[in-house]
Amino acid sequence: MLEARLEQAQLLKKVVDAIKDLVQDCNFDCNDSGIALQAMDNSHVALVSMMLKAESFNPFRCDRNIAIGLNLVSLTKVLRAAQNEDILTLKAEDAPDSLNLTFESSDKDRISEYDLKLMDIDQEHLGIPDTDYSATISMPSAEFKRICTDLMAMSESVTIEAGKDGIKFACNGDIGNGSITLRTVQDVENKENNIEIALTEPVSLTFSLKYLVNFCKAQNLSKTVKLHISNEVPLLVEYAMEGGSYLRFYLAPKIGDEE
Amino acid sequence: MAKTRSKGGATSTAPASSNPTNPSKSRYTLQPESSDPPRVFILPKKATPKARIVSLLNPRYAKPTRYLVCPESGIYEFTRIAAPKSTPHSWLIESSSGNLEGQKSVNGAEPDFVAYTTKGAELYIATPVDPLFLVLPALAQTTSKSEKRLFLSGYDHLESVSKELSPHLSEILHWGNVRTLFEARMAAICDTIEAGDESMFRLNEENLLKEVLSKAKRMSETPLPPSMEEKFVTKALEAPVLSVKRAGTAATAVVTEPAAAEPVSSTPMPESGESQASAASTETTNSLTPEPSTAATSVAGETIAPSEELAAAIQASPEVTKLQRLRTAFSFICSSYIAPPQTAQLKKLLSEKKDLVDFAPLDDYLAEVSKLRQEAVAARSTGDYSRKRVLDEEEMMARAEKKRKVEEEDKRKKAGQSRGVKNLKKVNTTGMKKMSDFFKKKL
Repeated sequence: MLEARLEQAQLLKKVVDAIKDLVQDCNFDCNDSGIALQAMDNSHVALVSMMLKAESFNPFRCDRNIAIGLNLVSLTKVLRAAQNEDILTLKAEDAPDSLNLTFESSDKDRISEYDLKLMDIDQEHLGIPDTDYSATISMPSAEFKRICTDLMAMSESVTIEAGKDGIKFACNGDIGNGSITLRTVQDVENKENNIEIALTEPVSLTFSLKYLVNFCKAQNLSKTVKLHISNEVPLLVEYAMEGGSYLRFYLAPKIGDEE
Repeated sequence: MAKTRSKGGATSTAPASSNPTNPSKSRYTLQPESSDPPRVFILPKKATPKARIVSLLNPRYAKPTRYLVCPESGIYEFTRIAAPKSTPHSWLIESSSGNLEGQKSVNGAEPDFVAYTTKGAELYIATPVDPLFLVLPALAQTTSKSEKRLFLSGYDHLESVSKELSPHLSEILHWGNVRTLFEARMAAICDTIEAGDESMFRLNEENLLKEVLSKAKRMSETPLPPSMEEKFVTKALEAPVLSVKRAGTAATAVVTEPAAAEPVSSTPMPESGESQASAASTETTNSLTPEPSTAATSVAGETIAPSEELAAAIQASPEVTKLQRLRTAFSFICSSYIAPPQTAQLKKLLSEKKDLVDFAPLDDYLAEVSKLRQEAVAARSTGDYSRKRVLDEEEMMARAEKKRKVEEEDKRKKAGQSRGVKNLKKVNTTGMKKMSDFFKKKL
């Protein structure tokens, strides 16, 4: 039996919004530590990994491991009925065939309740090892989104080059080329504006901008985003949330044909 | 009066017996199924009480088969008549002790057989069989072994059949006039010489052919049993009507070689799939003729009635029909009673001996018919527009239905797909490895 109560419905709304453009159907795996999700896009070049820790809920109860298979478009439709400030409660039985969602307005004068039919989704889980990345860049999530959308206008892929001086996003398209270079920023008053670069060795990799732009839909979840880059491994784009919860995207680098 | 008996002549019952069944047992307890259930036989009145059911070598299938041998009146074969599996029947066999055959009731060893319900309503009919066919394997064996074709006594011939294949043969030779009967029939197909007071025999294929042919002739004088007549004579001789409407059905009814349809069953008795109706035809026409199972089954398909007024391209003359009947009868006898190698031999001999019977008019006619059929098929493929259109309409309906289903499926799938997911499909992912290349699958 699962019973999870979120003080603010917007957390789930934003998470689902960020994922729904990448995957169609996926399992929400619930256990006593929280609700986890791992899914790949149709081409299997990107992976999304979500963890909503039990601490993010109040209260959280899950006696047994339950897999809740959902179509994200359907879930979005239901979540659209919830106000950002509503109290959201998820309920499911041990072997559920539907997920119960309750939205209570903050002054508790309106309660809406929805049951969403579940689906059987056969998904394989990948084991993601802890990796020491060559470069870890922390920057405001809005900044990352702007870079991606700006460069998207020029080309469909971006080369991220992390060096001692800073980090350079460069692209080369049909109409010309462009690049954005960021240097470290220490903003004492507004830590959110900090740009930090931790580097063990310089790296340069190319990624599909369409996917990166898609990841940026999670921008609302967190003020800062962390990029972890290493040669020969997927790029990790991490949006950290309160209470240890996170939303991580992995994207395979483009290797070989430099256009 | 037709007598019915359970297996082995143990009990015979009068069909109209009115003895009430024993009511002392509970109505609802069923007795365990008997491993040797009673069977219903119809035996000839001619057969004396001394007649016994024995196992003899089946001339066609070279394995032991049950025959009824009566020391006086001769040998009878059994034809099994059963309802097809799709329409199960059963018999209620009733007997009263007063009607038991005298000899059996006296010795008292008979179990209390009062009434019995059988699982399958099988009826075994004994019909006379020419002992000629039964001695044939023996003759064939002794003649084929040595090239020299020795003359042997009838007894020696019959002894050559192994005990396993024909367990009771040597036994029945000592009964009444059975041996005389065998030897008399042997003489009909053998060259004989007298050696002392004994006759010696040697198989003569020509005599055998004449004998079989005379049987076939007698069989073909009257129309064959309806199902055989329909399938092997009428259909085979039917010429296509050269009009658009008839061409289709005529072309489908290509039955060229009636002899090809040999019985499928391993015994000459018909399979239980045979219908009662066809079995009835066996009784009415020729007692020598158990119906081959194939003859009865596949006839129902097409009927020629609706367009009888349309004249066929050529009509079979009575002579041709008679010849076809004869050929069918001959093939039938061969396929029922004569082993395949001998059948081949006989057929070859038959085609050589034009003086016995000349099939030339029939062959000419059949060649003509097959030519006409080919023409009809060719004509249909070009000319029969009306038929084609009907098919196309159906096909189109089916295709539209299929298309609609696929579209519906697609729609449903798309409904669960966000715009972002759709857009990502268009992304060029060349040079990007799959995630499973980086991360190992969790078990």
